[in-house]
Amino acid sequence: MRDDVYIIGDEVISPLGLGSELNFQRLRDGHTAIAPVMDMRLRDHPIHAAQMDGNPWNQLVKNASHYTRLERLFILALQRLIERHDIPLDSETLVILSTTKGNIALLGDPEGTFPEQRANLTAMAEAIRQYFGFENQPIPVSNACISGSLAIAVARRLLRYDNRYKRAIVVGGDELSKFIVSGFDAFQALANEPCRPFDRNRSGLNLGEAVAAVYLSTKPTHGAVKIMGVGSFNDANHISGPSRTGEGLYLSICEATREAGGGMPDFISAHGTATAYNDEMEAIAFHRCSLSAVPLHSLKGYFGHTLGASGLLETVMAIHSLKNNELIRSLGFAHPGTSQPLNIITQPTRRPLNTFLKTASGFGGCNIAMIIQKV
Amino acid sequence: MGKQEYRIQTYCTIRSRSIRVNGNRFFDAEPSTPLGDFLKAAYRELAVDYPKFHKMDGLCKAIFIAAELIARESGPYERHTALLFANRSSSYLSDNRHAHDIFHADNPVASPATFVYTLPNIALGEISIRHQLQSENVFFIFDHYLPEFMVPYTNATLEDSQPNGGSALCGWAEVTEETCDLLLYRIGTSGQLTHSVEQLKRLYNEEDE
Repeated sequence: MRDDVYIIGDEVISPLGLGSELNFQRLRDGHTAIAPVMDMRLRDHPIHAAQMDGNPWNQLVKNASHYTRLERLFILALQRLIERHDIPLDSETLVILSTTKGNIALLGDPEGTFPEQRANLTAMAEAIRQYFGFENQPIPVSNACISGSLAIAVARRLLRYDNRYKRAIVVGGDELSKFIVSGFDAFQALANEPCRPFDRNRSGLNLGEAVAAVYLSTKPTHGAVKIMGVGSFNDANHISGPSRTGEGLYLSICEATREAGGGMPDFISAHGTATAYNDEMEAIAFHRCSLSAVPLHSLKGYFGHTLGASGLLETVMAIHSLKNNELIRSLGFAHPGTSQPLNIITQPTRRPLNTFLKTASGFGGCNIAMIIQKV
Repeated sequence: MGKQEYRIQTYCTIRSRSIRVNGNRFFDAEPSTPLGDFLKAAYRELAVDYPKFHKMDGLCKAIFIAAELIARESGPYERHTALLFANRSSSYLSDNRHAHDIFHADNPVASPATFVYTLPNIALGEISIRHQLQSENVFFIFDHYLPEFMVPYTNATLEDSQPNGGSALCGWAEVTEETCDLLLYRIGTSGQLTHSVEQLKRLYNEEDE
C-alpha cells in the first residue's frame, strides 16, 4: 500500500485579501474581486478583471525591492504557510511551483524594472529558493490552466513513490500583464462584464491574479483533508478548444473516482471559465459521469481566471467549504445555459459535507480531476 | 509483488543540425543552416502529410519530428502513453514573438496564432492529437537537463498508472531561435536499455563522445 497524502495547511493571497480564512469569508459574504479596470499597462481600453491594488504587503517581505511583484506575492504566501506550520526547509521538503506565465510581464516591456532573464521560470524559482534557503530547488510546473491542480498531483505522487520526501509545499500564482490580457483579448475570450459561468448569457472570462499554496504530508494532523484520487488526461482533440465530448475531462473524473473507491462527491468545484465552449464541455463531461445532480460552483465569478493559481486557489476554497460544511454559491449564474443540466449552487447552503471533486481544463487539451475528503 | 523494471525502448536526439534515432543518423544538414529551414527539411524527409506542422513554433516542430521518428522506429504509441517533458526556457520562442507583437511592432496587435503557442505544454497537445494519445501530460521547467528528477518521477508515474498500461514518452526539449537541444525517449516494460539516470546521461552526451 502506498502512503496516503493529506493537505494539512493552506494559504491564499488574492484581491479579496490576505489569508485563506479571510478569502473564504469574503466568498461567503458574496464579495467579488472583479471590477472594471482601466490600466494602460494592461490594455488601452477598460477590461473587467480581478486586480490586486498596489502592494500593501510589501513591508512583510525582506528586501522587497530585490523581487518582482509576483515573486513578492509567492514569498509572502510561502512565508505565512511556513511560519504557521513550522515547516522544515530541509531535503525532505519538496517544493513545487506552479505558474502559467510567471514573470512574463518583464518580457519585451521597455519599462520593465528587472532584466528580461528574470522572466525565465528557473530564475524565479532560484530567487524564491534563496529567500527561504530551501535545500531542494523549487520545481516549476507549467502546464497551462491546470498547472495548480497538476502541481498538487505531482507532489502527491512524489510523496507516495519517492522516499526522499516526507512533505511538500505546493505554491502557485500568476499576475495580470499586458502579455496575458492582450493574448486572451486576441482570442476574443474576455467578457465586457463580470463573467457568468454556466449561464446561458455567458460571454467570456475575466482574468484575475492570485497566489495560493498548500502543505502536503503523509501524516494527517487535526483538520487535515485527504487526496483520495487524481486523474489527468488529454483530449487529443484541439490545442486551443475543448473537446466537444469532454473526453479528457470525462476520463480524468473516471480515473479520480476509481482511485477514490467510487461514490458521489458532495459538491463539485468546476473550472467554469464562462466561455461558451469550456462550460458546455464541462457540462457534457459531468453528465457522462452521472454527476449532473451534484451541487456545483465555479469560483471564477469571485476571482476571475487566475491561470496557474486557479487550481490551487479553488481547491483551497473548496477545502474551507468542506470544513465549514457550507456550499459557496456560483456567482454570475441566473439561467441554465448548457446542453446538459447542472445543479448550480445559487444560494449559500449549510449542510454536512465530506467529499468534493475539483476539476480543471486548459489549453493544449489538458484536463485534471481530483477528489478530496475529510479525514 | 516485485517492482516492475522499466526500459528505454527508443530514443531520438536533435542536436546542432543532426537528428539521430537510437544513435543512428536520420538526417543531417550544414551547421550553418537556419534552424527553421533545418526542421522544415527534416519534416520533408519524414514524408508525412500533416499541414498543421507548418503552423507550429520551433519547440513543437522539434518535438513533433522526434515523436514521429520514435513511433516509426518502435510502433504506434499506446493510447495512455504519459507525456513527461521538461526544458529550460518554456515557450520562449513564442513568448518572445508575442511580446514583440504587443510592445514593438509598428502596429501593436496580438496574434491568436502566436499566443496559443505561448505555453510549453501545447507541444504535448500537438503530439497527443497527432498520435491520438489520451494521457497525462506534465511540463517541468529545469535549469538544465535533469534525469535525476525525471527518472524517479517517470517510474512513479508508470507505477501509478499500471491499470492503464505503463508507458511514457519523456523528453528534454530546449529550443531557441537557432539552437536545438533535444532528447526524447520512450519508456515501457521491454527494451534494450535500462531506464536509469546513468543511462540517460550517456544518451544525452552521446554525440559529444
